[in-house]
Amino acid sequence: MGEGGAVLSFEKATKSYVSSHLGRTRTSRGVCELDLSVRRGEVFGLLGLNGSGKTTTFKLALGLLSPSSGAVRVLGLPPRDPGALASLGFLPELPCFPGFMTPAEILRFYGGLSGIPAAELPGRVAKVIERVGLAASAGRRMGEFSKGMVQRVGLAQAILHDPALIILDEPVSGLDPLAIKDFRDLLQELNSRGKTILVSSHSISELEKICHRVGILKDGRLGRLLEAKDWARGGLEEHFIETVAGGAA
Amino acid sequence: MRAVLVLALNSWVENLRNRFFALALTFAGVVLYLSMLLGLLACDQEVRVLLDFGLGFIELMGLVGAVYGASTVVLREMESKTVYMILTRPVGRTSYLLGRYLGLMLSVGAAMLIMAGAHLLILLLKGWAFRPDYLLALAGAFLKVLVTGSLALFLALSTTSSLSALSITMILWSLGHFLPEIRLMVRRFGNDSILIMAPLQALSWVIPDLQLFNLRDKLDLPVGMTASIPLGSWLAYGAGYCAVWLLLSSVLFKRKEF
Repeated sequence: MGEGGAVLSFEKATKSYVSSHLGRTRTSRGVCELDLSVRRGEVFGLLGLNGSGKTTTFKLALGLLSPSSGAVRVLGLPPRDPGALASLGFLPELPCFPGFMTPAEILRFYGGLSGIPAAELPGRVAKVIERVGLAASAGRRMGEFSKGMVQRVGLAQAILHDPALIILDEPVSGLDPLAIKDFRDLLQELNSRGKTILVSSHSISELEKICHRVGILKDGRLGRLLEAKDWARGGLEEHFIETVAGGAA
Repeated sequence: MRAVLVLALNSWVENLRNRFFALALTFAGVVLYLSMLLGLLACDQEVRVLLDFGLGFIELMGLVGAVYGASTVVLREMESKTVYMILTRPVGRTSYLLGRYLGLMLSVGAAMLIMAGAHLLILLLKGWAFRPDYLLALAGAFLKVLVTGSLALFLALSTTSSLSALSITMILWSLGHFLPEIRLMVRRFGNDSILIMAPLQALSWVIPDLQLFNLRDKLDLPVGMTASIPLGSWLAYGAGYCAVWLLLSSVLFKRKEF
């Protein structure tokens, strides 16, 4: 595990994107000197406007991007290390699954890729389907599923291999209020079982309800780091607006 | 290795259910029917026309499936972001590419076998005496498909455009059938027109000699003549080209940022 109980850490991590067109090179910055640690067992929320660096932060943690400078560590390992990848689960925003497959087939596929032994796989799949509340629809094809149900399958594939760190990108985006509540309950249950969760959302009220700490990104930098007690009175929205509109970064 | 198998099997299942085979079979039915019609028109050469046209068609169908599949499979998964859910597991990027490639080629190979089964049935019904060389010709067509598919995968990753990959692959595939002629031109005019011949010379080193795998042309030779083909070096040549394109694809994909 990382230093000081950090499951995930960014040490002065900077990511610049370089693009060139007709000989003209342009550099834009995803995140800049990001210093951030996600502690074991906490639910950490990432807030920010579009283009503030949330997705870049996630992709750096997942090894989909490499930092231009600085370092990122997952359980003390580089993100692309198989050991690090085996201990994280990821739910992308609006996950996409083949419409002709059933949730059980999809989960068997992802379980196989996560290295779950073949003999254990059917039991694990059945258990996780039950856990995300899809037992009654396990035999149906994904093409018949609502957005909320697809999102549950997305969460199921992220937790199937029992990872220590779960990374969720906009998990409640586009869900109806009932589905949001179900999702929140699921996340809280996972956290109560010791899972560390890193979640991004545009829904400030959702993050307020489930997070222990929240980081607000502004222009690729960590504008503010807040603990639950900080928003207990005024609310998280106030801090957010103050940070993104003001000069807190 | 397990990840490669899981990915290959997943591609196979996806292709099986995704109308891939239904389409192949429909086209097989239509064109085999057309080859029978052409055979009728060819009067006393009916079996010969049926043999050539059928084998050519099977190869073309396999080629279309492989090139289209290889040009789109990875880019489609990148666009839908499905690849994120795969690469954020302990799956190496080379394993991912290899799994997808093998799954696609397994599907294409199976579709070609189904078409060949139908083709053989018609040939036998028309009184053709079966020759094991037929299977060799089919294997040659499949090797061509394997090589061209791996090239399409490499081009898809380097150009990041399915359309570009498709077009360039088809151009190189066509040139691959004229490699002996290209080499002859380079030999004849290489010294006189160095500047003009240099790109052609470079091309002749890069593209595979696909004419080498065209064993169906040799099916009119007496039985046993095709046995003189050096099968080992023939396989090594095809496998070598596939390995090089896949290796280059892997190098590109490992450096890819999402």
